[in-house]
Amino acid sequence: MRTLYERLKALFPLGELTEQRPDMGFVTVPAEHLRPLLTQLRDREGYTHLVLLTAVDWIEEGQFQLTYLLCNRGAARDLGVRVMIPRPAVGLATMEGIHDLWPTAATYQRELREMFGIDFPGSPRVDEEFILEGWIDIPPYRRDFDTRKFSEENFNHRPGRETRDPAQYMKQQLYPDGK
Amino acid sequence: MSFKDVVSPFTAWKNLFRDPVTIRDPLNDRPGAARYRGFHQNDIEKCIGCGTCETICQNGAIDMLPVEGRATKQGDSGLRPRIDYGRCCWCALCVDVCMTGSLSMSNEYKWVESDPDAFRFTPGVDAKHWDHAELGYRRPEGHRLTAEHRLHMGEMAPEERIGSFAEIVDGYDVAQAKLEADRCVACGLCVATCPAHMAIPQYIAAIRDGDYERGVSLLYETNPFSGICGRVCTHKCESACASRHEGDPIAIRWLKRHIMDQVSVEQIRRAVGTAAPSSGRKVAIVGAGPAGLTAAFDLAKRGHAVTVFEALDKPGGMTRFGIPEYRLPYEAIDQDVDIIRSLGVEIRCNTRVGSDVTLDELREKHDAVLIALGLQLGRATRVPGTDHPDVRKAVDLLRQATAGEDFGTPRSAVVIGGGNVAMDIARTLARLQKQQFGAVKVIVTALEDFAHFLADPDEIKEAGEEGIAVFDARGPQQVVVEDGKVTGLRTWKVKAIFDEQGRFAPSYDETDELFHPGSMIVEAIGQMTDTALLGDALTEKLAWTRGRLQVDAGGRSSEPWLWAAGDMVRGPDVISAVADGHRVAASIHTAIMTEQAK
Repeated sequence: MRTLYERLKALFPLGELTEQRPDMGFVTVPAEHLRPLLTQLRDREGYTHLVLLTAVDWIEEGQFQLTYLLCNRGAARDLGVRVMIPRPAVGLATMEGIHDLWPTAATYQRELREMFGIDFPGSPRVDEEFILEGWIDIPPYRRDFDTRKFSEENFNHRPGRETRDPAQYMKQQLYPDGK
Repeated sequence: MSFKDVVSPFTAWKNLFRDPVTIRDPLNDRPGAARYRGFHQNDIEKCIGCGTCETICQNGAIDMLPVEGRATKQGDSGLRPRIDYGRCCWCALCVDVCMTGSLSMSNEYKWVESDPDAFRFTPGVDAKHWDHAELGYRRPEGHRLTAEHRLHMGEMAPEERIGSFAEIVDGYDVAQAKLEADRCVACGLCVATCPAHMAIPQYIAAIRDGDYERGVSLLYETNPFSGICGRVCTHKCESACASRHEGDPIAIRWLKRHIMDQVSVEQIRRAVGTAAPSSGRKVAIVGAGPAGLTAAFDLAKRGHAVTVFEALDKPGGMTRFGIPEYRLPYEAIDQDVDIIRSLGVEIRCNTRVGSDVTLDELREKHDAVLIALGLQLGRATRVPGTDHPDVRKAVDLLRQATAGEDFGTPRSAVVIGGGNVAMDIARTLARLQKQQFGAVKVIVTALEDFAHFLADPDEIKEAGEEGIAVFDARGPQQVVVEDGKVTGLRTWKVKAIFDEQGRFAPSYDETDELFHPGSMIVEAIGQMTDTALLGDALTEKLAWTRGRLQVDAGGRSSEPWLWAAGDMVRGPDVISAVADGHRVAASIHTAIMTEQAK
């Protein structure tokens, strides 16, 4: 993993290598170097398989992290390539697609468009609904999406629900006069 | 086509002899995967009804409800979670956050029923066939949503602290306090256990938000001795903390102290506010300890003119003259007392009721009189030899140490007692010995064994670090005196402290005798109230129960003008004295505003 990293580092401005396991590592790369790096990995280094593409919402930093996990089947090794992109407070984030490198990426990109609001212009069917039919709120995997509020507003409680606040209930039971 | 390509399909034949991995009758028999998240299981004996599952549930699927036959008690609300499976999304956040590990999920997921209300039930209470299922989702080992361990509290090293009376505990800085506050799930189980019912989750939230003005306002709603309690409170709240079940309880006491450390006197004054306009009523309070001054604080806020009479030269009572400075620096006491004074409370020190002024005079000049005398007299063991002048009482020595009086520090001392007062005097003597002779020679002998020790575990640990030897389960038999000088204490091994009826009646193993050398013996086995100031006539007139002044729930005695509060009524404890001060102030306020108390 380390030798691969050294080879790549000579070509691309990579961040530190995180060796999660002997057969799995992660590197960070600026967004504009992603495609050349992925192409290099796919065509020269044997990382022919796109395992997955996923995102993390670093809301405090105003960034999304995209992770492209690649597999070298021959060497039984995985390498995750991380890219940080700006996360606008409202509206879509944008990233260049890689569906031309791996057609399966289109599905992941469509999912990220729906769940995080990250757009991949030109990606096939990227603006079509994926699993959320008739979604009316901000993308639900964004951390400012209030799941609790959404469920309270959109799903009725069955009649007969009631609850007690533990501290208040204990007061009522143990010291009702407040003393 | 190679030979291998022809033959290889036949290698699949070996699978003919394997057990099938498919399910034989998939229409009827559909077990969930081993860690499938199915219907919940709850060990209701382990569950404490903290409601953290309800709070975290993103679907509002959980209600906390009373369960028949399950009583509310300290540290257990008696409520149990009821789940509406019409809303549950099986995410298992409730299992992951559960503070006791009582909640889990079975791998059972199939259930057909025409009544939708059947899918709302209380796991562990409403019996289900999966209640004892072995398989299902359990929170994985090491997977925790809240940090398990409390933030380390910095302390002065033993060799450094033994040479002085400087405060041992550092206190948290802002970053540490935030991290510790982050561990709190704000369930509020602690509030019922705190004698003063402080707004604990709310002031911890104020620390999280960095809003110390709000924090100090919350503290002063229930406790004008927050600086003191932040250091020396018996923190019973921590024994009810939900976090203690699978980790350390939240350091509630240190967080309280942290708020007081962060605010200026001005900020405290703003939080406390000003007194109400004068009511024209006057109240006399005897004793400037936590109970008396808490009552003074409340009464002054309500516009009454309050005068506190204190026999000693400084206010604070046992917090000043009982608790050593290394645990509670005098500045912390001064700050709390000054805030109370700023409301217009007059504290007259060096004024002993009974000699400098009589109780009758107080009664005549005020609408109500409150006595909060504390427990100032040390109890005696009455074993042979204790009439020797070098056999002392811990409370007397601690008072003298605070006053800076020289009581003749012994080169070696034996303390009788196993409570916090015993540890206080032992550690005070150790410091004085270190300063005067350069060596510590203090022995503590306690009736209780270590499993039932009365002093806080921290006290025992720290005393040990400071070179004090603690002997458990030792009963004092005789103070040995040779040539008119105390040479030590003879003890027997304690077999039992209480008899079969549960009465105090220690029994000893006489064959197990020890001699503990020491030129001074200190008795620290408990205290009582000095009620001499009441005088014979009033003492006769008042109602008593087992040596304690009899008072009603509001602290009022059988004489309508006289109230009593604090340690003399409740036993020794700062926070209980504060709570009592509030109770009694409320009773006095009602009485003097609605009736002619005299």
